[in-house]
Amino acid sequence: MSADQTQLAFDWSCRIMADNGCGFPAPGLHSFLFKPIATFGGFEFNKVMLLALITTLLVVTFFTLAFGKAKVVPGKLQMIGEAGYDFVRRGIVYETLGKKEGEKFVPLMVSLFFFIWIMNIWSVIPLAQFPVSSIIAYPMVLAAVVYVVWVSMTFKRHGFVGFFKNVTGYDKELGGVLPLVMVIEFFSNLLVRPFTHAVRLFANMFAGHLMLVMFTVASWYLLNSWMIPAAGVSFVMTIVMIGFELFVQAVQAYVFVLLACSYIQGALAEHH
Amino acid sequence: MIANLVQLAAEEEQNPLVPPGPELLVGTIAFAIVFFFFWKKLLPNINKVLDERRAAIEGGIEEADAMKVEAQSVLEQYKAQLQEARHEAARLRQEAQEQGATLIAEMRAEGQRQREEIIAAGHSQIEADRKAAASALRQDVGKLATDLAGKLVGESLEDHARQSRVIDRFLDDLEEKAEAAR
Amino acid sequence: MAAMETLAALEGNIGSVGYGLAAIGPGVGVGIIFGNGTQALARQPEAAGLIRANQILGFAFCEALALIGIVMPFVYG
Repeated sequence: MSADQTQLAFDWSCRIMADNGCGFPAPGLHSFLFKPIATFGGFEFNKVMLLALITTLLVVTFFTLAFGKAKVVPGKLQMIGEAGYDFVRRGIVYETLGKKEGEKFVPLMVSLFFFIWIMNIWSVIPLAQFPVSSIIAYPMVLAAVVYVVWVSMTFKRHGFVGFFKNVTGYDKELGGVLPLVMVIEFFSNLLVRPFTHAVRLFANMFAGHLMLVMFTVASWYLLNSWMIPAAGVSFVMTIVMIGFELFVQAVQAYVFVLLACSYIQGALAEHH
Repeated sequence: MIANLVQLAAEEEQNPLVPPGPELLVGTIAFAIVFFFFWKKLLPNINKVLDERRAAIEGGIEEADAMKVEAQSVLEQYKAQLQEARHEAARLRQEAQEQGATLIAEMRAEGQRQREEIIAAGHSQIEADRKAAASALRQDVGKLATDLAGKLVGESLEDHARQSRVIDRFLDDLEEKAEAAR
Repeated sequence: MAAMETLAALEGNIGSVGYGLAAIGPGVGVGIIFGNGTQALARQPEAAGLIRANQILGFAFCEALALIGIVMPFVYG
C-alpha cells in the first residue's frame, strides 16, 4: 500500500463483506494531503516537499555525474545524459524555435523537462508513490516561469504596443469583429494560457494518481471471501495503469516543454 | 481513529487549484537549483564537449579526405608507372621482335649465301669431274677406236699425230651429229 | 408538505455524472486526432516524426479537458 493512504483516512480493516460496516475507502482530495513530517517554526515540511527536493537532488546528481567530467568519447552515463539532452534540444527546442533563436532557451527547457519528468515519475516509485506535480503549486511555479519568460520576450521583441498587438492577435483585415477577437485573444493568451498550462500537467498527474490509488485500494478492499478474483482483476489493472502512467508522465513532461516552446515561438514571431 | 483522520482531512480540505504557499516556495527553490545548475555549469560543460567532438569528427573527416586525396594521387602515380612499364615492355618486345627479324633475315641471307656457295662448289666440282671424265673417255674411246681400226686396217695407226687427228675428227663429227639431233 | 414528494433521488456525488459529461467531448476529440493521425501516417509514412509529435500535442490538449473534468468535482465538492 502506498504510504500516503496510511497517513490519512485509510483503514486496513476496511474490507468488502467485513462486518465492521465501512464502505469502500474511495480516494479523494484527502489522498493529496499530508501531515507534515517536520515543522520548522510554523513552516510545515511534508512528504511532497521532500520529494521535490529529492527530485532536484536526483536530477542535479545524475547530470553532474553524466556531464561533470564530460569526455569527447562518452561513457555509458554520459551517453544516456546526452541522449536525453539531445532529445530536448533537437527534438523540442530546435524543432519549434529554430537553432539560432532556440539556443538560449535550451537550459530552461532541458531543466524543465527533466525536473517535471522526475517529479511525475514519483507516482510509480515504491514508497514515494506520489506525483509531485499533482500538487498544483509545483506546476504553477513552472508555468509561471514560462509565463514570465514568454511575456518578457514579447515585450523585448515587440515593444509595448507590439506586445498588445501580439497578445491580442491584432489584424486590421478582420474589420468589425476585431474588438471581439482582441478581447477573446487577450483573455485566452494572457489569463487562460498559463492556467491551462499548469492545470494540464496538474490534472493529468492528479487523475493518474487517483486512478492508481483507486485500483490499489480496491485490490486490498476486494481481497475477502468470494471477491478475491475481483481483487486479482483490480491488481492487474493496477499494473496496467502503472504502465500507462509511465507513458503519460513522459508525455506530459514533453507536452509541457513543447507548449512552453510554442508560446515563446509566438513571442519571437514577427507579426505581419 | 478513522473519525480523527477524516476530521483532519476535512480540516485541511481545500480547493486543489489553490496552491499552498510553502509548496510554492519549495517548488521555486527546487526548480531554481536545477535550472541554475543546468544553465551555469552542466550545459556549458556538455556543449563544450559536444563542440570538441564535432571538431574532432570534422577533423577526422578532413584527415580522411586528405588521406583519400593522397591515396588517389598514389594510385594515379602507380597507374602512370604501370602504364610506363607497359609501354617499356611493349617497346622492348617490339625491339626484340625487330632484332629477331633482322637476325632471322641475316641468318637467312647467310644460309642462302652458304647454300649458293655449296651449290656453286658442287657445280664446279661436277663440271671438273665431267671434264675429266670426258677427256678420259675421249682418250679411251680414241684408243679403242684406233686399236679397232688398226686391227681392221692392219696397219698401225699408232702414229700419234695421225691418230689424234683422226680421233678428233671422229669426235667432232659425233658432236655435230649430237648437236644436230638436239 | 405532502405535496413535496421525492420522485427520484441520487445517492453519492453528482460530480461523477459531471465527469461522464466532460469525457464525451475529449473522447470524440481523441478519437478524431488518432484517426486522422493514423490516416496521415498511412498517406505519408516519411513524415512520421512530425505527425506523431503533433498527434501527441493534440492528444494532450484534448485529454486535458477530460482531466479538468475529473478535477472540477473536487474543486466544487
